[in-house]
Amino acid sequence: MSASRAKGKRLLQGLLVLLVISLVAAGCSSNNTEKSASAGGVQAATTITMAWPRDIGPMNPHLYNPSQLLAQSMIYEPLVSYRDGKIVPALAESWTISPDGKTYTFKLRSNVKFSDGSAFNAQIVKKNIDAVLHNKKLHTWLGMIPLIAKTEALDETDFRLTLTESYYPVLHDLAVVRPVRFLGEAGFPEDGDTSKGVKSPIGTGPWVLSEYKKDEWATFTPNPNYWGEKPKVDKIVVKVIPDAETRVLSFEKGDVDLIYGEGLISYDAYKELESTGKYITKLSEPVATRNLVLNTMNPKLADLKVRQALSMGFNKEAMVEGVTLGLEEKADHILPPNLPYANIKVSPVKYDVEQAKALLDEAGWKLPAGSDVREKDGQPLELELMYDKADQTMKAMAETLQAEWAGIGVNLKITGVELTVYIQRRKANEFDMNFYSTFGAPYDPHSFMTAVVQPGYGVSDTLAALPMKAEIDKKIKEGMATTDDKARAELFGSVLTTLQEQSSILPISYIKQLAVYRDDVANFQFPSNRDEYPLRGIEKK
Amino acid sequence: MGAYIGKRVLSVIPIILFSSLLMFVMIRVGPVDPAEAYLAAAHIQPDDEVLAAKRHEFGLDQPLPVQYVQSVAKLLRLDFGQSYISNMPVWEEVAQKLPATIQLASSSIVLALVVSIPLGVLAAIYHNRMVDHVIRVFAYIGACVPVFWIGYLLMFFISVKLEWLPVEGRGSFRHLILPSITLALWLIAIYARLLRTTVLEELKEAYVRYARARGIKERVILYKYVLRIAIAPLITGLGINLGKLLTGAIIVEQVFSWPGFGRYFIEAVINRDIPVIQCYVMLSVCVIVGSNLAADLLQLFLDPRIARKGRVSQG
Repeated sequence: MSASRAKGKRLLQGLLVLLVISLVAAGCSSNNTEKSASAGGVQAATTITMAWPRDIGPMNPHLYNPSQLLAQSMIYEPLVSYRDGKIVPALAESWTISPDGKTYTFKLRSNVKFSDGSAFNAQIVKKNIDAVLHNKKLHTWLGMIPLIAKTEALDETDFRLTLTESYYPVLHDLAVVRPVRFLGEAGFPEDGDTSKGVKSPIGTGPWVLSEYKKDEWATFTPNPNYWGEKPKVDKIVVKVIPDAETRVLSFEKGDVDLIYGEGLISYDAYKELESTGKYITKLSEPVATRNLVLNTMNPKLADLKVRQALSMGFNKEAMVEGVTLGLEEKADHILPPNLPYANIKVSPVKYDVEQAKALLDEAGWKLPAGSDVREKDGQPLELELMYDKADQTMKAMAETLQAEWAGIGVNLKITGVELTVYIQRRKANEFDMNFYSTFGAPYDPHSFMTAVVQPGYGVSDTLAALPMKAEIDKKIKEGMATTDDKARAELFGSVLTTLQEQSSILPISYIKQLAVYRDDVANFQFPSNRDEYPLRGIEKK
Repeated sequence: MGAYIGKRVLSVIPIILFSSLLMFVMIRVGPVDPAEAYLAAAHIQPDDEVLAAKRHEFGLDQPLPVQYVQSVAKLLRLDFGQSYISNMPVWEEVAQKLPATIQLASSSIVLALVVSIPLGVLAAIYHNRMVDHVIRVFAYIGACVPVFWIGYLLMFFISVKLEWLPVEGRGSFRHLILPSITLALWLIAIYARLLRTTVLEELKEAYVRYARARGIKERVILYKYVLRIAIAPLITGLGINLGKLLTGAIIVEQVFSWPGFGRYFIEAVINRDIPVIQCYVMLSVCVIVGSNLAADLLQLFLDPRIARKGRVSQG
């Protein structure tokens, strides 16, 4: 008995010791992290704190995940920028394009320095673009990259890019956040191969990274060497908050000043914050269109009448309003009309159940007595809609379509799949229908046009059965190569009009960016480039 | 006794090997091809040539048994490969993230023991009275309410409304409080119920009657005799619950932006970062198997009769 009593005593003693140790340990760590919290989180007079779902990453200007667009666009700059549908100067003051559209000569700004004080010049531009080209296969998604034949530093401020063939969106491709942005000499690794990492994030942009705790927070301060208009706040703190609800609670507590982006908080949360009346909430112009793609390679969907019937057989307006709480807008255009070449005249499809039924009857899909599903030659009108099961908006829209089309005698099966499966099936063209969102500025319209021409992006293959597919492809290729802007506008306009008429791609809604911020944040403006961040000129009262 | 311990320790090996085989098979039969997942993560257009090169590099073109043996050999060297996303050795990244998770888990365990022991004892003493009912309802709710929901509730009331504690993040002791409570609540619920039952059972034992007959004070009986015996199952139960604590930590870390191993795992799942997922699963298996083993051995140390009887079932 006494032995086991001693054992019990030891057990309790052990527990007490464990408790004391853990309290002391927690107390110790509290000292050094109070400090770090004040470095990272506490509001100075001109600090703006943002919430971000992921760590900002290695800040490599030439690579993708896990480097975040947010940090890349704060530190590094492009040669040209995209603003309000136009290409404007950035690191390049001006440029000339040869008549054959193959040679671009850029005049660089001469007063630009990197954040470490080193000079920005044509040699470093060449070095950066060469580093990107060194890993060409990583970047082929950007149409300009495979076409680059030569990069030349003509002198200190003149840089020339030569292409193998004319390709109009070169300037648009140069305006994207990655991979063509510029790292200072001292940031390059010894062998110059940035695909393996960078030494340190040295850019010409308005911000420099000043403090950083991986997975917790990053602090940016103004770049003292910045050539352009200086930032209006002393500090931007990016707090890593992976959970959407926590981002909202942190904002309500006052630890976060600004929530901005797509999918960063739920539509419900946005509405909830808006309803308090305490904060400023804003919606951007359309940045992309959420489309429904009907695969014409399925014989049932090869019939234009069936596609038109489906298009008018559901109440788009009610669906978009209901599913997105009005935060997306009903779309009639495949590409948002605020994009270059996309402002074409379209006649909106009206919701008309009777007309839809009549079209299906005409197409030979009759409703047998006592059945809810139409049939033709003994085959039921069954279709499958595939969606990404992690996306709640897609899921709710799929369910609505299922219910709506049941009313016109179509049996829609909806299948939620993992994202990787979604991409695989899309690539292999193994689906009847799915959702397809356009890329937004500065990628569109040329990225969408590329998807229409090239197989593997989930669009071209689905259009294959259109009688005028070859003609569409020809027009797109001509439009991409021509140096005549007017001719391109006509060619692209005609392609978009045909696609609208063919009802194989059904516009559903315009996706918008959301912003919620505290009322002491001023001068907030949505950037034109979908991947940039609204920190230019932002102030704190 | 030595033979029993040896047998128990050796029995762990086939369990771990079987788990590694299961994981290997699941990754191979799953819809995601590791080479394709890698290319998708690196934004490389997966044409056939690039895919073939990656498959060769990952050894995916080898016969399956060879691949399996290779992967086990790597695991034994603690070589979990490189993350598809960061290109860093997985083990290095995990080692950076483990301290945060260990801190959270251990503070939750301590909190759970400190709170559940008085609750369980009170419930037993006030058996079938108001206090007992309240504690039982609390335990019932604590055991079935989702962890993340409790986390949000605490954040909303304690942090946003009352402004007592930070909403999220890691750093000070104050940051540790809410996640620890959230993670511990479920353990507290289980332990309070377990302790209540064992204390009630012990109180019926002959030695308690004998002690009462000798005129020993009820309080002394409870603290000196009953509680000492009743606490043992809690300690061994901890071994069994450690696995569940790990899964709970994934959610708590995500909700409270706690930069630990669980959050790293969630990101890996979203990004299909297979080496990281493998590492997490294998380490979890080791922790669960290891803690069960430790619990068994601890029980053996507390009650050596087990070695003669064989393993007893635990509640």
